[in-house]
Amino acid sequence: MIELEVRDVYKSFGGIQALNGVRFKIQGNELIGLIGPNGAGKTTLTNVLDGVYKPTGGQVWLNGERVDGLPPYEIARRGLGRTFQVTRAFRRMTVLENMFVPAMALNPAKRKRDFYGKAMEVLEFLTIEHLAGEYARGLSGGQQKLLELGRLLMLDPDIIILDEPFAGVHPKLMETIYEYIEVVHGQGKAFIIISHDMESIFTLSKRLLVLNFGELIADGDPDKVRHDPDVIEAYLGEEEEEEGAAIIPAPSAAGSEGDDA
Amino acid sequence: MSLRIDMRWIAAVVLVGLLAAAPLLLKDSPYQMAVVTGAFFYAILASSWALLAGIAGQFSFAHMAFAGIGAYTTGLLARDLGATPLQGIIAGTLLAGVVGLVIGLLCLRLRAAYLALFTIAFSELFRIVLLTEFQFTEGSNGLQLSKLWTEITGTQEYYVMLVLLVGGMILMYWLADSRIGLFLRSMREDQEAASAMGVNVVLYKVLIFVITSLIAGLAGAVFYHQVGIITPNTIEILQMSLVIAMAVIGGIESLLGAAIGAFLTRIGLELLREVTIFGVQIEFGAWRYAAFGLLLMFTLRFAQNGLIHPIIDRLFMKRAREETVAKRAQASGGES
Repeated sequence: MIELEVRDVYKSFGGIQALNGVRFKIQGNELIGLIGPNGAGKTTLTNVLDGVYKPTGGQVWLNGERVDGLPPYEIARRGLGRTFQVTRAFRRMTVLENMFVPAMALNPAKRKRDFYGKAMEVLEFLTIEHLAGEYARGLSGGQQKLLELGRLLMLDPDIIILDEPFAGVHPKLMETIYEYIEVVHGQGKAFIIISHDMESIFTLSKRLLVLNFGELIADGDPDKVRHDPDVIEAYLGEEEEEEGAAIIPAPSAAGSEGDDA
Repeated sequence: MSLRIDMRWIAAVVLVGLLAAAPLLLKDSPYQMAVVTGAFFYAILASSWALLAGIAGQFSFAHMAFAGIGAYTTGLLARDLGATPLQGIIAGTLLAGVVGLVIGLLCLRLRAAYLALFTIAFSELFRIVLLTEFQFTEGSNGLQLSKLWTEITGTQEYYVMLVLLVGGMILMYWLADSRIGLFLRSMREDQEAASAMGVNVVLYKVLIFVITSLIAGLAGAVFYHQVGIITPNTIEILQMSLVIAMAVIGGIESLLGAAIGAFLTRIGLELLREVTIFGVQIEFGAWRYAAFGLLLMFTLRFAQNGLIHPIIDRLFMKRAREETVAKRAQASGGES
């Protein structure tokens, strides 16, 4: 079973404490939303989980193995894949070549042609199969986002971290990303979705983690979290609790709005 | 395999065939033969630098220094230990590879301008050591190197460099087309993203430094046996800039483009030494480098993919890519 355990993780940059004793556990194909105000430590946590940063303290365990301190490629090969806040397609490589990179890195004995079928299938699912031979730099921002999601499927990780997947995305594309998450989650993958798009987060997530100033201030059912005074205060300040509760949408309301989008 | 992909092989065979037959035309002019042989040397350097900088994204200025390491090693081993040219060339090549490994490891965290500055510093350090330790290296007088073998002819030297060039190109194309090439390009595009996709960027960064240093070291060791002397001037930044400019004019993301660019530029520079227009003989002297500089500026401003690479891409690669994708798309459609 998929298992990710974050045990009292600390990360500081000089005098700044970016993560302060963060602790949570993911079991099975959970669909988790990770939210928090700007500078809360969401991306730092992602970078610690995927090995870009070594934590100052604490441990990270992935599927029964301690992985903190391992380089990102080792963690990727052990089943954790991520996207970046700013899309990072390999721009001067074709779409297909982008897809081959993780597949080839993961399977040293296989050749490119062994992955053509799967790559085209994934691209078709993401509706960009007609761009397979194009250089990634020729794709629109949204299409590059889809390519990044496709590349993740070629890595075939157990846990997928999506950093701001809905930022600056056209509503039509949003639907494709929703479908991607639902289908891939249905195939047994766990997700951690970082987003400032509250509607999407509350629509998709079954569990919410809330970071503020590097501390995990809430962890649980989205409906409970939205009424958590600490969360409302973190977003809008203590005096505006009522307004805050209105801005963080209820799951049902968010769902219908998300459908419209 | 499509007809167009086969065309690439046919074109390569025709090109090598033409180069192999060229001594028939050049045999009466040892000077012209030597110029073309020298052009092969620059083609090897420019294409291997294109592999390092254009494909792997490592902008090193130490490539000429690695050629110098190869040449000085074989020269010194022959002078002081009586090594044969073959033994010296092997030792020189290996030493260049070892130094490449060290530079690769030291540069792991350096990118772009910092890597360039580091390798310039290394290159200059090496040149200054060669100049100051003149009791050992012969300083600016230069170190004499024997011919590869006694009685070697200009034609044989030509074929030695041609074999090195063709062998080097085959090795580099194989690398660029393999999984290693795929990983190198992903690393060039975005190291963090490549790493997140499971690519061991440290391994491939060091590996490409070692491989290209070996190639430069080998080419330098062999070529300067033919020239008969190596001086510290060979390693100066101007010479390195010349190699980089040749690769840029050809197209730094294309091994063949860089090689052809270097070959034509080298020969062009020689042709420009003395030009006769309507019976008037003009000696360009150092001005030919100004023409070369203009060509480089034109390339950087108007043809960032180089002047040769777009032609190769248009003739062979683009169609091959489209056909491959179309075929695979059809195949996957049929399966589903």
